[in-house]
Amino acid sequence: MNNLLEARNLKKYFATQKAVDDISFSVAPGSIFGLLGPNGAGKTTLIRMITGIFFPDSGDILFEGKPFDALKDVERIGYMPEERGLYKKMKIGEQALYLAQLKGLSHSDATRLIRQWFVKLEMESWWNKKVEDLSKGMSQKLQFVTTVVHNPKLIILDEPFSGLDPVNSNVIKDEIFNLAKNGATILFSTHRMEQVEEICDHIVLVNKGKKILDATVKEARQQFKEGLFRIGFDGEPIVPDHPSYSVIKKEEQSVVVKIAEGYTSNTVLTALLQEGGAITSYNEILPSLNDIFIELVEGTPATRQFQNLTA
Amino acid sequence: MNKSLLIIKREYLTRVRKKTFIISTIMFPLLYLLLIFGTGYIAKKTSKQLRVAVIDSSGLFDKRTVAESNLRDSSSYLEYVTANQDSVKQHFSSMGFDGYVVIPATDWRSEEHKVVLRTDKTHGIQSIVGVQNKLNSIWNNLKYQKLGIDEQTRATLDRNRISLEEENLQDKGANAGIASGVGYICAFLIYFILLIYGSQVMMGVMEEKTNRIAEVMVSSVRPFQLMLGKIIGISLVALTQFLLWIVFAFVIFNITKASGAGSNAVSGIVASAQDIFTRINIPLVLFCFGFYLLGGFFFYSSLYAAIGSAVNEDMREAQSLAFPVTMLVIFSIAIMTAAVSDPTGDLAFWGSIIPFSSPIVMMARVPFGVPGTVPWWQLALSMVLLIAGFVLTTWFAGKIYRTGILMYGKKPSWKEMAKWAFKRS
Repeated sequence: MNNLLEARNLKKYFATQKAVDDISFSVAPGSIFGLLGPNGAGKTTLIRMITGIFFPDSGDILFEGKPFDALKDVERIGYMPEERGLYKKMKIGEQALYLAQLKGLSHSDATRLIRQWFVKLEMESWWNKKVEDLSKGMSQKLQFVTTVVHNPKLIILDEPFSGLDPVNSNVIKDEIFNLAKNGATILFSTHRMEQVEEICDHIVLVNKGKKILDATVKEARQQFKEGLFRIGFDGEPIVPDHPSYSVIKKEEQSVVVKIAEGYTSNTVLTALLQEGGAITSYNEILPSLNDIFIELVEGTPATRQFQNLTA
Repeated sequence: MNKSLLIIKREYLTRVRKKTFIISTIMFPLLYLLLIFGTGYIAKKTSKQLRVAVIDSSGLFDKRTVAESNLRDSSSYLEYVTANQDSVKQHFSSMGFDGYVVIPATDWRSEEHKVVLRTDKTHGIQSIVGVQNKLNSIWNNLKYQKLGIDEQTRATLDRNRISLEEENLQDKGANAGIASGVGYICAFLIYFILLIYGSQVMMGVMEEKTNRIAEVMVSSVRPFQLMLGKIIGISLVALTQFLLWIVFAFVIFNITKASGAGSNAVSGIVASAQDIFTRINIPLVLFCFGFYLLGGFFFYSSLYAAIGSAVNEDMREAQSLAFPVTMLVIFSIAIMTAAVSDPTGDLAFWGSIIPFSSPIVMMARVPFGVPGTVPWWQLALSMVLLIAGFVLTTWFAGKIYRTGILMYGKKPSWKEMAKWAFKRS
């Protein structure tokens, strides 16, 4: 399968820091791709290179298999930056129309598509309102519409749910799934791991300008598992000493054990079964992305937000 | 539609549709006229009519000549006092006088007569000069009488004068008075438009930056396109406003011409306006005005755009960074005033050639006549250099803008901005 987007050895150095230091990754078409990292890891710089705002110092970006041409390909990308912005004094309809036309849509196509989206997200009555009259959540929805209205191949969303209430969050989340189902590829940048686990297929984790993890969500959780199992009992847990495991935590009706090196989960289960306790469940505990994130990022000096940002 | 056109259209329409545009288009000429006539009126009003007691020790003045002088000139009131001279000196203010003068016992043939006006508070120079002129006119009459000069000889002496007018052989229509008037008006209009619309460009860029829409925009268009679109859009707003003013002036001129043909004042204005039209090459002046307005605007507004992109929401940061640029505009006005009084001098020449001041200085020189005062080669050189100048500033500003628009944090210094401009993309 041809990748929609491929980044090869991207580098971008600013005067005082290596914002992006030799990062490569590829995004499969139709997938939801998570770009993760702590504050100041280089996510925004990376995204700005993909959206043609910055030129990389070195490295290549391939878009649909061809070298990325910022002037032409930006029309096929929709980008919602973390710091959102709209012209406050403009009417909402005109604003959406303007941004859509800048993405290459004709006036009539833009009008038609915007109306469709406004109907879908229950914003029809907003057309003649001004942006400054909108609440934060409402302008977020408008921003989302302006990002996706031109049917981009690649949609880049930086923290799309910040500032949204749970209801609107779900509305947007459903639309993201819909867009992916209809063939758009979504690059999703966040540090809210529970959302990533729920939405993303594939993730890349960056820290201090370097890529430190590149895997599907499933692979990542497998890769970082620690051989932990939870055994549920009907009643008081009966756990004898055995060389194949050590007890990590004892709970009311269950225990968490860690399998010792050289043993398999079957050995553990056999040992437990012989003791005659009534076992009701036997599950492997996989680490959450949050755990993985913290494990990988923790210990690195408190990110880079206090560095001089002069470019 | 082309993206640059879209940006220009938005920048233009959002500004022209605003109420403030319509109000300022109507109010500015009114305020301008008010300023000109108002200051004239106030200056006239502020000179106070002084009541002055005249105590004569010379024996040359008498009650009749002083009373007559009050009839001729009402800018001050003199009263010839003979009785109670000492009490007048003591109590002049309670007697209703602002002060008194004592004409010394002097020989009328001597060359200098120093007279002191004694008052109990300080009066403006205008009022004092009024009294001085009046005393002098009485004094003159006295001298004429003593010398035996009759009315007719006097008229010959007073009115028979040589008046000197300049005629430039290369440009016979030229008239320094009218030309400097037109030059002043053109230069000040450009000055106002540069400052007002230049700061609009700066505010516009700051708005995009603080609203954080800049990042959305530059993911669709090149930063340079965005900056240039804004500058061109706003320059069109300035042109629109200017054209509306020309239309206003034309309509008002024609209405007054038609309705008030009888009245002296109006026909005087009409005649002088027609004089301007015949003596000045109006199409050339208008063309140059358009050229220098746009050229100067591109030159300065790109600098203002760069500043707007470099600062954050803080208006004071913007003002302190914009100060040197604004100083250049004000400095140009200073050169312009010198250039109008000596339109062929060195200062006028260099001021109208160097791009930062040429929009204002050259525009003040052009009404004096091309090629009479300004040779064609100077005009051409000035225009070429201005174009080169704004291409350079726009390029420079574009580089700063590209970096600044996405940069949040502390205000950069000029040095850092220069570094942005010269680093490779």
